[in-house]
Amino acid sequence: MKKYLKYIYILAFITVAYILLPVMNADYLYTIQDNNVFINGHTFMMDIVQHAGGWITWVACYLTQFFYYPWLGSTFLILLWVAIYWITIWMFRISDKFSFLALIIPSLLLYHLLDYGYWIYYAKAPAFPFVPTILVIFCLLFTWGVMFLTRNLKISWRWKGLIALSLLFVVIMTVNWLCPSSPWHFNYNYRHSILTTLTDKNFRHELRMYRALDEFRFEDVFKEMPTNQEQAPTNLMVLYKNIALMHTGQMDKMFETGNCGIKPELGDSLKIRTSLLGAPIVYYMFGHINYAYRWAMENSVQYGLSFRSLKIMTRCALFNQEFDAAAKYIALLKSSTFHRSWAIEHEQWMINSTHFFQSKDYQTISPLLNDYENRLDGDDGLCEQFLLEYYSALDHAKTPLLEDVMMCMTLWSKDFYAYCFNFYDYVNHHPNDPLPALYQEGAILFGNSEESPITLNRFKFDDMVADKYNGFVQEYNSLQYQGMDEQEIANRLKPLYGNTYWWYYYFYNDFNIY
Amino acid sequence: MKLKNILSIVTITTLLAACGQHLTVPSDAKMESRLPKIYPDYTEVTIPANICPMNFIVQEGETEVRARLTYPDGEFIYGEGQKVQIDENQWQEILRSAKGKEIKVEVYAKIGDQWTAYQPFNIYVAEDSIDEYISYRAIQPSYVAYERLSINQRNLTNFDEREIYNNMSVSSEKVGQCINCHSYQNFKTDNMLFHMRQGYGGTMIVTNGELRKVDLKTDETLSAGVYPAWHPTHNLIAFSTNKTGQSFHTKDLNKIEVQDTESDLILYDVDKNEVSIISELDDELEVFPTWSPDGKKLYFCSAHFEYYNDSIEKSAEMIQRYKEVKYSLYSVDFNPDTKEFSNVEMVYDAASDSINQSVTLPRVSPDGRYLLFAQAEFGCFHVWHADADIYMMNLKTKEIQKLDAVNSDRSESYPTWSSNGRWIMVDSRRDDGNYTRPYIAYFDKKGKAHKAFMLPQKDPNYYTFYLRSFNRPEFMIEPVTISPREFAAKAKEDAIPAKYADR
Repeated sequence: MKKYLKYIYILAFITVAYILLPVMNADYLYTIQDNNVFINGHTFMMDIVQHAGGWITWVACYLTQFFYYPWLGSTFLILLWVAIYWITIWMFRISDKFSFLALIIPSLLLYHLLDYGYWIYYAKAPAFPFVPTILVIFCLLFTWGVMFLTRNLKISWRWKGLIALSLLFVVIMTVNWLCPSSPWHFNYNYRHSILTTLTDKNFRHELRMYRALDEFRFEDVFKEMPTNQEQAPTNLMVLYKNIALMHTGQMDKMFETGNCGIKPELGDSLKIRTSLLGAPIVYYMFGHINYAYRWAMENSVQYGLSFRSLKIMTRCALFNQEFDAAAKYIALLKSSTFHRSWAIEHEQWMINSTHFFQSKDYQTISPLLNDYENRLDGDDGLCEQFLLEYYSALDHAKTPLLEDVMMCMTLWSKDFYAYCFNFYDYVNHHPNDPLPALYQEGAILFGNSEESPITLNRFKFDDMVADKYNGFVQEYNSLQYQGMDEQEIANRLKPLYGNTYWWYYYFYNDFNIY
Repeated sequence: MKLKNILSIVTITTLLAACGQHLTVPSDAKMESRLPKIYPDYTEVTIPANICPMNFIVQEGETEVRARLTYPDGEFIYGEGQKVQIDENQWQEILRSAKGKEIKVEVYAKIGDQWTAYQPFNIYVAEDSIDEYISYRAIQPSYVAYERLSINQRNLTNFDEREIYNNMSVSSEKVGQCINCHSYQNFKTDNMLFHMRQGYGGTMIVTNGELRKVDLKTDETLSAGVYPAWHPTHNLIAFSTNKTGQSFHTKDLNKIEVQDTESDLILYDVDKNEVSIISELDDELEVFPTWSPDGKKLYFCSAHFEYYNDSIEKSAEMIQRYKEVKYSLYSVDFNPDTKEFSNVEMVYDAASDSINQSVTLPRVSPDGRYLLFAQAEFGCFHVWHADADIYMMNLKTKEIQKLDAVNSDRSESYPTWSSNGRWIMVDSRRDDGNYTRPYIAYFDKKGKAHKAFMLPQKDPNYYTFYLRSFNRPEFMIEPVTISPREFAAKAKEDAIPAKYADR
């Protein structure tokens, strides 16, 4: 039994690693790959290897791309960890009984990979899943090399090991000193994000929602919204969900489907911004092509080029008919391993405009395309706030979809006056259509205000909506009379009215845009 | 004996293989009466007598190509796939032989089984050489963000390139900074500078080879130094000081506007570490200083802009009225001994109603006869203005001409002169509208600019796959010798505050 111990240990480790990586965190790994880039070819290679330690980075970038299929990338990584395990046992002549000690380094590397959480968007070191692993293998082989060369010296292997490690330390410190921008330069930030990766459901929902949006799988976006009222979604999830509603013609369901987002609570110092996590796709889905392009570019500059940014920049360039720029991005993506087919498909958009006009992208986004007069503006990195303000400031929608967007965005931002004007427009454009319940809820609420430009008795509201509002007001007043504070009232009214605009309007005041 | 046999076989095989690689041009090609599509476009360009090989790619479908380069003393044939990559030693032979003459280039492309011969073109080799180096900031065409950028130096006579400074060397997840505006005195590198902003902010100044980091912001000045100009004979640097903002077009393909809500000019005395004001007029936005070669005149741009609306911030009003900001060209006399400025003169009233344009980035030729500048409809940041073109003023006659040979229908900006005044380099976005590339044009003794060519690269496909702009390309006659490590170490030190001198 004892002689099988080292096999049992490594099999147990492999099992745990597979569970923690492709089984539990496939989306996490896919996103890491999406935020990475590897282009086959001389220019990309030289761009990386010209820096000290560049070869390690280049190899690590190459391997990271395999997380496109999370099980495949994980297999490569786990194989390298298994190699570290065996080399450690063999080099340090660790007995079967203590062979579990050789799992310390692979376990730390596994921990390191899972410890990123939201840092996967912020990591400036490229290909971080593989760089430490390759470095460790290099260090072990270096140590083995020194021990091999000193094999004829009449000193114990422990002394040889010590000499090897000392030399290794000198090498690393020298390279670190000579080449401050190399991956040997350990500039470690404490992250403490493993709990985010493993337990934060919203974090994973966001990862999946992004990919679903990117692939126009709107129904899958809805599936990621928590059904449990105890779990509040993040602002970004709400934004993603509303985009999916918008493009499936259900934007008036936004308050029924949970619109009270929260800012993620993180255990470390990271200040997360939607501009980095999702602004390019959000702006793209809203037809703000210039801003989508901008944030894809900004994120590339600050945190490194990525497949994700390249794809957004390609689509934006195609929408803007900047075909020379699009051709450039497509040429790059065509030289990748896993995004080649995407690039070829999008190249067809350029060659034959019919393909473009028939694409999901065009058919989905064109009704929203910004055909208003150009505006010089800015979002200060807060894309959600920009969108709310932008649509509140617009008047006279030019497409039915834009009409809904303007109605809903003014409700979302609680912009009383803008909503009232949009409401008049909407009713005039749809004199014979039934008014969606949400728009009635907004009109009843704002119409009851003393300063309201809406005259309620001009419009016919559904009895059910009107009765529900009366019920809401009565219960609210009653609970207030009983001396309850706002939070208690909110909790009491939530089961019955939590899916109404009124509840959102009165009780969702923690609109923490990030 | 056995080993000898093996070695013989290997040698013969190798020689045979080498012979097999000898290229010929097809004899049965059909003629095409047009120029071949090549990238970069090197047809009918004039090149320096010491430039690196002009490698190019033939864009005639997925094909095999041959290019025969005929020069006065012979010919060479190249072609590998679609690429024409010229052997560096053979290229030296070609240049030596063709100096002052031309190289005839005949291109053949095989499409399917059929070879096609295109109309030959010439590459003219000037008698004049070009400065051995350029430096540029390698940066993605970003808006606000910065981090992954470096200042690089490239040897123009071969393809050697190395980093002068890499911004990531002192960057971490939490601390970052921008680097910008590298500048040299008289094309030499023992007096040079560049800025760092944010994180480890400060101006890195090298004087007589010695590096220091200074903080040029004083209580009396708007900002630290921004756009620099080394005085040609004295240890003085003119800077603009700027309060700069950026805003973004929701629809316009120019995408971004960079605007100064306020700007002035300052003079920095390097030896005394003193800053003094050159110009800080109300309602004037002074920027882009540049010296005449004798150092007795400072040229600069200035826009007259009055803020009307007290109820909003200046930056907000600037955004509303961004198209009204138009810069004209001025000069002011300077006495290097007394450091006194006098006699401000309007050189080119670009903002006048009749011209209604905006001038930026003036640069005087080393012989003092000409002045290059970038001009567009409005604003100061022409790299983002597709209508921006390069113009030249004859400083004697004040005649202005648009340099059609170096312009395109996309943005051209940042013109510079080589040290001998025979070469002009501009930053152009003609390739794809987004990424600036250095284009070099011959400027002959008669004052005529010739067709510009893109800086050659070893791999002619380089620009397709390179996603950074060549920002602010500057000629240098020698390389920067201070190492990136020395710059990085100095960057982490505190900046020495400059003193303010009231004059």
